Amino acid sequence: MSDVEYSDDDYYDDEDMYDGTQDDADDDGMDMDNEDFQIDAGPKRKPYETEHESLSQAEVERLMRREIEQTRNILGTDESVAGLLLRHMSWNKERLIEQYMDNPSKLTDAAGITIPEPPSPASAAPVRSRSSRPSSKPLPHKRPSPSKKDEPFVCPICFDDAPGLETSGLDCNHQYCIGCWTAYLSSKIRDEGEHFIRCMAEGCSIVAPDCFVHASLLRDEPETWPRFKELLARHYVSCNPSLKFCPHPGCTNTVSCPGASSKSSLLSIVPTVSCGARGIPGQEKGPDSITVAREHKFCFGCPIDSDHRPVICNVAKMWMKKCADDSETANWIKSNTKECPKCNSTIEKNGGCNHMTCKKCKNEFCWVCMGPWSDHGTSWYSCNRYEEKAGIEARDAQSRSRASLERYLHYYNRWANHEQSAKLSLELYKKTEKKMEEMQITSSLTWIEVQFMKKAVEEADKCRETLKWTYAMAYYLCRGNHKELFEDNQRDLEHAVEELSELLEQPIESDTIPTLRQKVTDKTVYVSKRNEIVLDDTANGFLEGRWKWNVHVDGFDDPDPADLAF
Amino acid sequence: MDARLRRVNKEISDCKADTSSGIQIELIDDSPFHLLGTFPGPEGTAYEGGTFKVDINIPDSYPFTPVKMKFITKVYHPNVSSASGAICLDILKDAWSPVLTLKSTLISLQSLLCSPEPNDPQDAEVAKHYVTSKTGFEETARYWTKVYAGAKDNIGVGKTAGGEDQIAIAGLEKAHVDQFEALGFPREQVIDVLRRLNYRGKNVSQISEDRIVEELLK
Repeated sequence: MSDVEYSDDDYYDDEDMYDGTQDDADDDGMDMDNEDFQIDAGPKRKPYETEHESLSQAEVERLMRREIEQTRNILGTDESVAGLLLRHMSWNKERLIEQYMDNPSKLTDAAGITIPEPPSPASAAPVRSRSSRPSSKPLPHKRPSPSKKDEPFVCPICFDDAPGLETSGLDCNHQYCIGCWTAYLSSKIRDEGEHFIRCMAEGCSIVAPDCFVHASLLRDEPETWPRFKELLARHYVSCNPSLKFCPHPGCTNTVSCPGASSKSSLLSIVPTVSCGARGIPGQEKGPDSITVAREHKFCFGCPIDSDHRPVICNVAKMWMKKCADDSETANWIKSNTKECPKCNSTIEKNGGCNHMTCKKCKNEFCWVCMGPWSDHGTSWYSCNRYEEKAGIEARDAQSRSRASLERYLHYYNRWANHEQSAKLSLELYKKTEKKMEEMQITSSLTWIEVQFMKKAVEEADKCRETLKWTYAMAYYLCRGNHKELFEDNQRDLEHAVEELSELLEQPIESDTIPTLRQKVTDKTVYVSKRNEIVLDDTANGFLEGRWKWNVHVDGFDDPDPADLAF
Repeated sequence: MDARLRRVNKEISDCKADTSSGIQIELIDDSPFHLLGTFPGPEGTAYEGGTFKVDINIPDSYPFTPVKMKFITKVYHPNVSSASGAICLDILKDAWSPVLTLKSTLISLQSLLCSPEPNDPQDAEVAKHYVTSKTGFEETARYWTKVYAGAKDNIGVGKTAGGEDQIAIAGLEKAHVDQFEALGFPREQVIDVLRRLNYRGKNVSQISEDRIVEELLK
């Protein structure tokens, strides 16, 4: 049979394609570099970087094929069955083999496969012809005439009874016309994102093998086949802990990062990865070319789709949750409420006298001095007991609780400020692009020479991202020398970034351009170094176990009671 | 011809030809993809004697995606929303198969009325009523069947039970009934109106007191 040869061709095609895309990506990377900025020279990995590799879809498919091939050899089944079994078992080869050896028919039943018995007519065709690769061979089980020869065939779905209607079916032999199969598969793939598609008959559990899907889509819906292949690749990626699909819209790349595949590894590293692509596919040449061509950075360890270095996933998640729950509410609470001195319930006084009765614990107290109401005797409505001991204690408790709120807001406001600035940086990008054009006109600088502006904006943006997350980290770090050093680094970086941002906002005059260029270039290098110091230091700190938290963080020792922040 | 149109036409004519099941499918407007289904309440249940109307919307990708159905007739059933008529049934979602037809789906709805699934409820309040007092639930379901689905009054609603029990059977709160009774309306009428409006659980906050008084004054 020629099928095998065909498949091999296809294999090499894929490889060529893969190589092509890689080259493109490399070229893009080269464009971004500039002679002025050789800070990152050298292939040596920094402590805050995580080794990872970007894979194209074709490359992922190759990995899948390798696994299918291995499984097929061990189980002695054909490729299609091996593929369906692996998908059914979420690509867990070890468990698959174990269960298959234990009871093969049980497993194949559950996976929606019926293995044809050797004497049955279904296996008359060579096993090899069932391939998971695209092939142009005719539909399996195609029947030019219906099974019952005396009655004309009527498709039970569309009620078409045209003579010579082409029908097909899976191993279960439920026959439907080809048009219905195409429409059904396409609807499952396109609308439901399903790759494990069962027979159309009610309650039938047989799953359509890839070759059947391909053959059914080939004629009328060839554009749905790539979508199906993408779904298969996505499923494989989602089952493999050392792979992650790039979350950026329209991107089909996958990142392989075995170093961050276990939960425990995430306690000491922040696996920020990049799939190598930039911008949104198909929009690279838009008018806002700088703005859309952002690198596809994301965190391999958690769902945050940006760079949350230097803080580890657990803490970043904790912070995000706290912000989502608290920030706005906290502001309001701070200005409008007090806590019950006994049970610490938060109380809003919305009118009435100063004699408060806590709804929760029924404690009676004075709103003015926070002392117990029983001490007030008959001097209602005007508290003259300001110096009472109980009142002072209650106010102390109150101020402690306020202080923790203040403390949170201190970090939150700075965090939010950098987030806001990062959003505004889109504006800054556009402005900078305009300035770069201006510069080329007003000075003798060439396009290549004005790239320093763009590089500076990118660097500032990157550092703000780091700064933003240093505030989340600082909020949870427990007091001590380490934290002080951390905050010193943070302050130096922040200071440098603000200076750079100021330079970027300056108006351009033709006679000052050379000085400005020098200043911006120097500052960019300095900022970049400061950023590296922060990232280096924190990353090393995680590896050395230097960082201690003031709250419980999953995977770390509980903090000393003395270090508790709250 | 469009396969979807051919299929729907065939389904409608098949249904017309079959008179034994009592299931009917009619056009609502000019579109053959917006239909009205009708079926009789299953015998031996609280829905017996009622005629239930179902709004049928046929999506573009029918029959490969499930048909959209909801009750037009108000139904007191754990798997049917008492407010919107939305239906919780597996074959209308992921268990759909293209070989199922409008008629077979309507038959499934009919059998859903026979066998409620209170553990997978569409209407939590009704499901709670079903679980706490099956007889009370059936009373109300029968009452709704009479009021909304046009069943003949063959079971004396609320005439047998005493005052307190009547409230419990209707699945209402005594305080609510007392509240409107205090306004001078007869107790039976208050229970009648409150159960018809499904004045329980979180519905209480959604139905204004004026609305109830309005109903009581009718």
